[in-house]
Amino acid sequence: MSVTSDSLKSVKGSRRKSAPSPWRQKKIKPAKDTGGLASLNGKWGYLFTAPFFIMFLIFGLAPIVYSTVIAFFNWDPIGEIKYIGLQNFTELLADDRFWLALGNTLEIWALSTFPQLAMSIGLAAILRNKFLKGKTAWRTVLLVPNITSVIAVAIVFGQLFGRDFGMINNVIELFGFPRVDFIENSFASHVAIATMITWRWMGYNALIFLASMLAIPEELYESASLDGASAWKQFLYVTLPGLRNTITFVLIVGTIGGLQVFAEPLTLGGGLSGGSSRQFSTLTLFLYEQAFASYQWGYAAAVGILITVIVLIVSVINFVITRRLSSEDTK
Amino acid sequence: MAKLFANKRFLTSVSALALLGVMSIGITPAQAEDAPVKVTVWSFGDVIQRDLVRQYQALHPNVTIEYTKYNLDDVNGTKLITQCSAYKLTKKLGGPDIVAVEVAYSGKWRATPSCFQDLRKMETSTTNVSAGVKAGLSATDLKSDYLPWRWAQGVGYDDSVIGIPTDVGGLEVAYRSDLFKAAGLPYQRDAVSKLWPTWDKFVETGKKYVAKLTAAQKKKNFSFIDDAGSIYTAMLNQGTSKYYDNDGTDAGKLVYKTNPAIKKAWDTTVAAMNAGISSKTAQFTADWPVGMNNGKFAVILSPAWMTEYIKAQAPTTKGKWDIANIPVGGGNQGGTQLTIPAGAVNKQAAYDFMTWYLAPAQQLQMFKKYGLFPSTPSLYSDPAVSGYNDPFFNNAPVGKIYSDGMLKLKPIFEGTCQRAIDMAFGAGLGRVQAKKQTSAASWTATLAALSKDKCLTTGN
Repeated sequence: MSVTSDSLKSVKGSRRKSAPSPWRQKKIKPAKDTGGLASLNGKWGYLFTAPFFIMFLIFGLAPIVYSTVIAFFNWDPIGEIKYIGLQNFTELLADDRFWLALGNTLEIWALSTFPQLAMSIGLAAILRNKFLKGKTAWRTVLLVPNITSVIAVAIVFGQLFGRDFGMINNVIELFGFPRVDFIENSFASHVAIATMITWRWMGYNALIFLASMLAIPEELYESASLDGASAWKQFLYVTLPGLRNTITFVLIVGTIGGLQVFAEPLTLGGGLSGGSSRQFSTLTLFLYEQAFASYQWGYAAAVGILITVIVLIVSVINFVITRRLSSEDTK
Repeated sequence: MAKLFANKRFLTSVSALALLGVMSIGITPAQAEDAPVKVTVWSFGDVIQRDLVRQYQALHPNVTIEYTKYNLDDVNGTKLITQCSAYKLTKKLGGPDIVAVEVAYSGKWRATPSCFQDLRKMETSTTNVSAGVKAGLSATDLKSDYLPWRWAQGVGYDDSVIGIPTDVGGLEVAYRSDLFKAAGLPYQRDAVSKLWPTWDKFVETGKKYVAKLTAAQKKKNFSFIDDAGSIYTAMLNQGTSKYYDNDGTDAGKLVYKTNPAIKKAWDTTVAAMNAGISSKTAQFTADWPVGMNNGKFAVILSPAWMTEYIKAQAPTTKGKWDIANIPVGGGNQGGTQLTIPAGAVNKQAAYDFMTWYLAPAQQLQMFKKYGLFPSTPSLYSDPAVSGYNDPFFNNAPVGKIYSDGMLKLKPIFEGTCQRAIDMAFGAGLGRVQAKKQTSAASWTATLAALSKDKCLTTGN
């Protein structure tokens, strides 16, 4: 907004001058207030961006500051409040429940991210096909899981994964394998949660990949096919390199979301502790448990800060890897 | 012009004065009574029934009862905590006028009576006199109407009264008489009650039942009771103390490590699990209603309100169910109090609604319409309750069985970390049931986890 009005003014101003030299143009100061929109010298810009910043202050910055402060307190929301310095953090680092939750979270993240990545790229490749009929319909359908309520997803999947009457176990038994307890078995519960996440986000990511694929110049494919490259070779050597940045983007966004998995494990077991041996307790579930079952807001805030630190570390690793990849690209 | 203006102002002030005068003479009281009031209620489940709310609004056209149903953990955990901490921070009135608090959370809330209006200091107004609620009644006057142990769940550590009991759960045994018959067990309710005077005998009966199941059924976890974990809770509630002892201090004394009642309940539950009499179907999961229908289990420890749930989920099993006495006798699961938060705006209107809603006459209506069992023992001799037979449960005298059980219970002291401790022991039993740990190892792990739990170590 402000940029356009300023540049318009400078163009107008330059017209009035006899010698419209580009060097002089820079020195021309914005016109004095003459009334009207332009006279506010871009102050309108602040007004129009204000709603975002006001919302961010209330719902973003204020909670961040608040939780950072209470992390240094023994903070019972309706009881005693006492400053205890770094004690929450030292206790947290010695708390095996925290490390268990971290391990669970990373395992669920890995189980949900990598298969999902492969599947959504595959889906996008199918959708890119020129001869596919009903393209818009397919693309719309892909988004349906994403707009379904997480709780509804968890309930339906809870039935599918049921130990005694669940459909998935019926299929497993059909192939002669023993029934799996998708709640009590640690790894199986992670698979169940990862499946819910994958189902929910696969289509969404496929659309991002599709958009990126469509941006790859058609000539590359033409010359590749002239050189005799098969469809698979084209995918490997033209499509995948073209998707590199998108893959990084999806990975980073997926990591941030993946480290905050909450609703799925909560509804799978129905409790805040994430199963009888905490086998699917994730970081955010642990945070919630500390805040609202043990009423330890300070401790929970400390968990929240550590989650932020972990997300930062993982994002930096991601960033460094991408930088290295793209610099290799330019060599 | 100016003169006219002045005249106008003069006229206005005169008429305003006149109006004030009229109001002060006689209209004021009537106006106060008819001023529209909105009472906001936060509840969960079936605590607030629409029919009764409509009745109350018909009695008092100026009162609107606006109630919202939440998830229990949301309303008693998150929402009430943020509401109270916000009130303590800003001292601003607002938010709900009535909040339903469940017994699982009562330990926590009894520790912070400052979050609630002390109901001993409230008095009923004249508004419900014609509907049977006398004027000038404080909570102290109402106390004798309710079951003592139920009343105690709404009393704060400082003896302030923070809540008045709604219905009562009780706990008896709902069983499938057809399956009992097929297994060669006695199946008439009196004979069944005699099968298990103790919990050990209950486990014995379960073993006999399970012995008759086919291998294919066992493979799908068909068994005797839906979830053996419910035995633990039932046994604890039959005692006089759980995790805390009332030693006269505000917080009570933590005794979960030494209280023999807990170890005994744990051991009996483990014995039931090891005997294979549990179908390992947790209540309110997807598999639970399926099991009610297909006979995966023959027994549910059922509070009175759960009988309605069974009817709704397994309508085709009508007549196959029956109700027998719980082992030892007397039991309870759940229970809710209606409270008025300290920051409520319309406390008087809220108190008037609450005292009407929870009075014996209305509790009787709720029992007749929704099967919610009254917490006011004066009704137990009412023919509508004592003579109530339920055709779904093979015409069992449900009213009599449950009211006999209710009168056997004693108050139990609930402490702040009640819920955290309950969850830890529940998880411990879950590990034994899933065969992840032996009973001894799980018990040790549970105590170790609790000794590190911040709720207990920070001593609040």
